[in-house]
Amino acid sequence: MIPQELRYLESHEWAKLDGGSGIVTVGLSDYAIEQLGDIVFLELPAVGDKVVKGSEFCTIESVKAASDLYAPVSGEIAEVNDELPENLDLFKTGAYEDAWIARIKADDIAELETLMNAEDYENLLKE
Amino acid sequence: MDQLRKTVFYDRHFQLGAKIVDFAGWEMPIQYSKGIVHEHLATRKTAGLFDVSHMGRFVFRGDSLPFLQHVLSNNAAALDVGQSQYTFIPNETGGAIDDAYLYRFTEDEYLLVVNASNRQKDWEHFESLIGDFESVEMSDRTEDIVMLSVQGPKSKQIVSSLIEAGPLPEPMRNRLSTVTINSKEVLVARTGYTGEPVCFELFIDAANGPEIWDLLTEAGAEPIGLGARDTLRLEAGLPLYGHELGKDKYEREIPIFACELAKFAVSFSSLKGNFVGRDALSKQFAAFRKIKDGDYSLLEYLPQMIRPVAVSGKGIARQGSGVFTDGKEAGYVTSGTMVPYYKYVGEGLFSEMTEEKKMRSVCLALVDSDIADGDRLEIEIRGKKTDAVVVPYHLRGEAPPYARPIVYDNLFKEKESARVSDDLPAKALTLLNKTVDNTRWRQSECINLIPSEQTQSSMSRLISIMDPSGRYAEHKAVKAFSEAEVFYYQGTDFIAEVERLLAEQMQIYLGCMEIEARVISGQMANAAVFSSLVDYLNRSNRKIEPRRISRVLNHHIIKGGHLSAQPMGALHDFVAHDPTTERAAVVNFPVLPDNPYKVDVAACQDVLAEYKPELIILGKSLVLHREPVAEIRSMVDEMSLDCVVMYDMAHVLGLVGPYFQEPFKEGADIVTASTHKTFFGTQRGIIASNFHRDDHKWPLWETVCRRAFPGSVSNHHLGTLLGLLMAAYEMNHFKDEYQKKVIANAKAFALALKNTGLDVAGDAGIDYTETHQVVLNVGYSKGPQIARLLEDNNIIVNYQASPEEEGFTAAGCLRMGVAEMTRFGMQEKDFQQLAQLICDLVNGTKSVKEEVTAFRKRFTNMRYCFSGEEFTPVMEKLYQLI
Repeated sequence: MIPQELRYLESHEWAKLDGGSGIVTVGLSDYAIEQLGDIVFLELPAVGDKVVKGSEFCTIESVKAASDLYAPVSGEIAEVNDELPENLDLFKTGAYEDAWIARIKADDIAELETLMNAEDYENLLKE
Repeated sequence: MDQLRKTVFYDRHFQLGAKIVDFAGWEMPIQYSKGIVHEHLATRKTAGLFDVSHMGRFVFRGDSLPFLQHVLSNNAAALDVGQSQYTFIPNETGGAIDDAYLYRFTEDEYLLVVNASNRQKDWEHFESLIGDFESVEMSDRTEDIVMLSVQGPKSKQIVSSLIEAGPLPEPMRNRLSTVTINSKEVLVARTGYTGEPVCFELFIDAANGPEIWDLLTEAGAEPIGLGARDTLRLEAGLPLYGHELGKDKYEREIPIFACELAKFAVSFSSLKGNFVGRDALSKQFAAFRKIKDGDYSLLEYLPQMIRPVAVSGKGIARQGSGVFTDGKEAGYVTSGTMVPYYKYVGEGLFSEMTEEKKMRSVCLALVDSDIADGDRLEIEIRGKKTDAVVVPYHLRGEAPPYARPIVYDNLFKEKESARVSDDLPAKALTLLNKTVDNTRWRQSECINLIPSEQTQSSMSRLISIMDPSGRYAEHKAVKAFSEAEVFYYQGTDFIAEVERLLAEQMQIYLGCMEIEARVISGQMANAAVFSSLVDYLNRSNRKIEPRRISRVLNHHIIKGGHLSAQPMGALHDFVAHDPTTERAAVVNFPVLPDNPYKVDVAACQDVLAEYKPELIILGKSLVLHREPVAEIRSMVDEMSLDCVVMYDMAHVLGLVGPYFQEPFKEGADIVTASTHKTFFGTQRGIIASNFHRDDHKWPLWETVCRRAFPGSVSNHHLGTLLGLLMAAYEMNHFKDEYQKKVIANAKAFALALKNTGLDVAGDAGIDYTETHQVVLNVGYSKGPQIARLLEDNNIIVNYQASPEEEGFTAAGCLRMGVAEMTRFGMQEKDFQQLAQLICDLVNGTKSVKEEVTAFRKRFTNMRYCFSGEEFTPVMEKLYQLI
């Protein structure tokens, strides 16, 4: 099931706004995790890195290939999930919870509005 | 685009939820539902099943050998029926059009398996050259023969369980056989592309394929997709066309010798003539040899080589990643990924695979040829440099049934240097105490069933450490003194007499005229004979490089042959190379199809006629039967073969006589042996012959003596010569009683083990043995573990690989001998009781350590040695003299 309250990118990242703090949490959808197969490596960005909406900010690797993840909003990396690279199984058990990847202090939270909602993303997956 | 092809297994893949991809025009499974990591590990732990039917299969018939020699890099003439080889399809410039495997299942047909992606190109290449060769028929059988690969530690049990008729291939890589599975003929090869030491590839008629797939999966083989096939081959360091072979990332041709495997798969045998690419490959090979010697003067022919590299920093090296040394670009990664492995715990033979999964980042890289193992590199991954190290390998397969991961930090550990101790008196005391403990344990608490061991009588042991132990007595026969032995040192009259008396006793015992007793081990005895034969063969021309023994007939090590009779043992420097097989010119005794422990005497006739050996080595270390000495002698004489018939009696020296064999009566030229297995002696060797001074071969015997001294020893360990003389007195005095009892005990022991329900090897018709040995099958690869369990319960045995097993780490046999315990007085009924204790242990019923210790206490008085009051005073004197 795709969580209804999140926003999505065509490259399968999800984004969630944390209340009024302007912090956006980013992760990877169940569908993308399934497609990647065995995830064997995650290279996190560094706290303080500047990120640009739609640009790569992080790399995830399966046995077969490396894939880039794209930022849902522009801003600055506020926090990263240090536990995740050590325990990649979290991707399988909690794609939308424990397997969050990074939190971005967004320059402009309105950018989130340009992303797909759950219904649009579901339609994309059906195509 | 042409329609994608499907193998006959496509429906199976689909039903199993495989992700299907287009691979070289075929719809193939890249992975099944559990994923690549799971599949990789399943292959390493149990057995993987791979559909490799997409690969191209070409069959060559007619007069095809000259054509194959021309278009392939390896020496196809080296293949006997039942063998296969890795080979390249070279181009004129020494690059690879493809790599391939050549199989010879039958006399008149060769099967070549090529990469799916190159099938068309290979075919066209062959077509373009075949016109120069008459009567070669080449056919593409890719569609009507399908191919399944079963790889991993459990693959042997799985494949065996399906076989209705026919044998598995012999337990050596690249061996082949033909079997029946599902009522149809299936060709089986011990080959694969995973690094697994236990591995099979099956060639099946397409119509029979799907049912055999089902049988294999039902038997426990796990389907594996192309994804894990790639990670497995990468971990094994095996090249893949398009990555390590063909063109590099700059579209330059990769020289074939950039791949280490080329040294096995490229032959410059004269039998190959001027094959495609020969000149270019010769230059690469010259460069390759120089690089191995640390000489980089020919790098123009081989500037870069493929090396396994372990990533020690963070990240995964991928195909194309740049490789740097000291900041300078030195090549690039040709294949790289993260591979999983199961962690092993424990040391050496008893290291065990755990459930704990780990990952490691490994790759193959094409790097400058002057980079050495252990060199530190940097690999550029997404703009950042990460640390890496060149390793000799990522995985080792020589300890079957498992392929074991080798993690880089275990490879380059600094060896700790020995520490100076200021506490040596305390260490001396510890050593003395431990010697007491060990002697007590081995002599009064353990049942020793190691067939190559013996305890010497106390007389033999005591005099072995008296004077002249520690002294020298070099001597040789001098013709000017009518062959009198001339000693180089003074004070040697006593040892001279001992040696003379020992020779007399051994002449009587063996029924021969000549004895050389100076060699101090059986292995040295063999090496001295081999060296003598080389010397003898070259005696008429000393001005040229001596030639080696042109052909040796021996027992293969896996059929119980002595290690010292193998090219890897004492034969190493003395046997010639066979120009056809490009290996040591050794041929093995054929064995009976239903009893691998016994020579197939009838089949020896053809072997002798075909190979005309200059040396025949009879005798085995795993020995249940008499050796066919008389039969071989009469064949050799009938064919008038100019050869030496040698019998290495190491194990059975103590059985020489009417109850076993009389080697010289039966026609042996030379007998060698160690003197401490069934014989009573100290640990030494002996060489005997019956050559007479007027024999044509008398000079060979003279050479034997010269190769003993000064060829092998200067000091020939004089103390143990005394002990051996005492042992020879004991043997000649007690042999009738002792030999009968040993053989009766061995038969009783074997029968009793059988009656407990255990699996005793050998021929029931002779009560399983004609020697002191009994062989017990305890289950594939369980030998080391069960031998250890027996040791923990004070029963000392020796694990061995059976003739069907891949190596000693996969040993499923226990080799046991009754000689020593017979000497300590055990009778048939005692061995029956012992059989029950062993059965309880092997079946895991209970611990029997206390029972064994109590049992042994009944057998501590040595028999078959001298005793009586007349010996007591002098023995006491000797004790006082130490």
